[in-house]
Amino acid sequence: MVAIDPALLTNILLIGLSGTLICLAVHFIPVGGAPAAMAQATGIGTGTVELAAGSGLVGLITASYMYAYEPLADIPLVMAAGAMGSMVMLASTMFAGSLIYAYGVAVPFASAQVKKDPITGDRQDTYISKGTQGQGLPTICYVSGVVGAALGGAGGGLIYFVLMDLYKPYLALTSAFAVAGVFTMGVMYVNSVIPSYGVGGTIEGIHDPKFRRVVGKDVITSFFVSILCGLLAVLIAGGMSV
Amino acid sequence: MVLDLTMSMAILALMGALATIAGCLEDLESDVGSQSNPNSQVQLAPQMGFLHRIYNKAISGEPISNGMSAVIGGTVTTVLLSQKFYPLTAIVIGAFIAAIILGIFATTSFAGRVASQTRFKQPLYMDIMRYTTPSIIAHNFIMNFCLVAIAYIQFEILGYPFTIPFLALIWGISVGAIGSSVGDVHYGGEREFQNREFGCGLNTALSGRIVRKAESGLRNSIDNVWFCAKYGGPATGIALGLTVFFSSWPTTIFGYTWKAIGVGVLIVAVLTIMNRLVELNVRHAYGPYKEEKNETEAKA
Repeated sequence: MVAIDPALLTNILLIGLSGTLICLAVHFIPVGGAPAAMAQATGIGTGTVELAAGSGLVGLITASYMYAYEPLADIPLVMAAGAMGSMVMLASTMFAGSLIYAYGVAVPFASAQVKKDPITGDRQDTYISKGTQGQGLPTICYVSGVVGAALGGAGGGLIYFVLMDLYKPYLALTSAFAVAGVFTMGVMYVNSVIPSYGVGGTIEGIHDPKFRRVVGKDVITSFFVSILCGLLAVLIAGGMSV
Repeated sequence: MVLDLTMSMAILALMGALATIAGCLEDLESDVGSQSNPNSQVQLAPQMGFLHRIYNKAISGEPISNGMSAVIGGTVTTVLLSQKFYPLTAIVIGAFIAAIILGIFATTSFAGRVASQTRFKQPLYMDIMRYTTPSIIAHNFIMNFCLVAIAYIQFEILGYPFTIPFLALIWGISVGAIGSSVGDVHYGGEREFQNREFGCGLNTALSGRIVRKAESGLRNSIDNVWFCAKYGGPATGIALGLTVFFSSWPTTIFGYTWKAIGVGVLIVAVLTIMNRLVELNVRHAYGPYKEEKNETEAKA
């Protein structure tokens, strides 16, 4: 059994924090769900879990590569590598999605939650097509999504870093990579599902009134659930040492 | 860095090309089988009295079903590689087995979904099942091949820490997320509802009223994939190609440093500006749906 020491408690706390970071990130990403796929709502036309996990996992690949090949990589660098991978994935996806909305469906981008785009100041309400809740990805949604991806990727990178430190003493290096990677993926999924309940499947991003309404509750829930995940991660390490 | 710069860039270009093909084919597979969010309309149509000849599989969310396909392909490939198979043969066999398994899921899913709609009198067209399922398997095979090849290159040549099945799983989930976000909008937002005026979002009142007549005869899923292959599929391919290329390019050129991270952020900034340019272009080209009444009234 692994002895309980302050370093171990710090690791659990860091996993809790990184899970919370991923949960917070999901609120920033403009997910419109099924309505957005039919240009009935603003945002990206898929679910919160799919998108947050999809972008977070690309961040996990870049973070793990950074960790494996830069011996001096510290926590901030691995987190930044994760953030970069996630940002690139979501930015590419949102840009290609915009091309479809613009030239495939031919709709101007408009948010239903604000009258004017807080970044560009463009009028939104007059550009909403009849019978819809907005469509496409206005600049505020795009920027909010990029910020969310950065937070999610950084959170993923942090969990991976902590878990690698935890598992390296007990496992062969290749096995440690695998266990840490799969566990990080699990924590990402857990923390992508929690906000789905809060936001009810769709959110436009930081400017959506829903953001302020639910983010507090979701983040607290996520912190406790992630702490539990951290505890499990440590218990698994205990099993390995036997 | 394992390879020299020229070789690294060549490998990266190859991965980008494979990813572009994988992204494109993933979206087209989801269109020909009708999966993910737009399938809600295909599912809803019989309930509104609109019987149709569209394939209706939706095994699960796109990322999960594609992740499953890719990880099966990756696992079989790894097993064959451990038996000293030639890598290309191993990847092809792995991709083929995964595609066949997806085909089985597609068939049972289609039959099960249509059977559940008996009370709405939606028939199960056996010719649709016979013609469309091989097309689903073929699209999925190419996607699996490309993704497992990317995973193989990353693990064997670039020395990524994760194994082939795990990398294939991650790319499968990512390509599903991208296909669901990008290409499906072309299928759900445009192709399914070509009966409404072009250039507007889908009015909620039109939900379930999908187009059932084709350019000639009754529309089926092969007609849908023909249309989506012109724009939705390639756009999805570009998104995954950009993701694979630009998530590795900064570290390949600048090493594992903060400078590489800065370059990554710069790429994202450029994409943001490009999105803004597209937004401005469409606002200018299409104009508002309503006059700006509020301000003129306030001034008067």
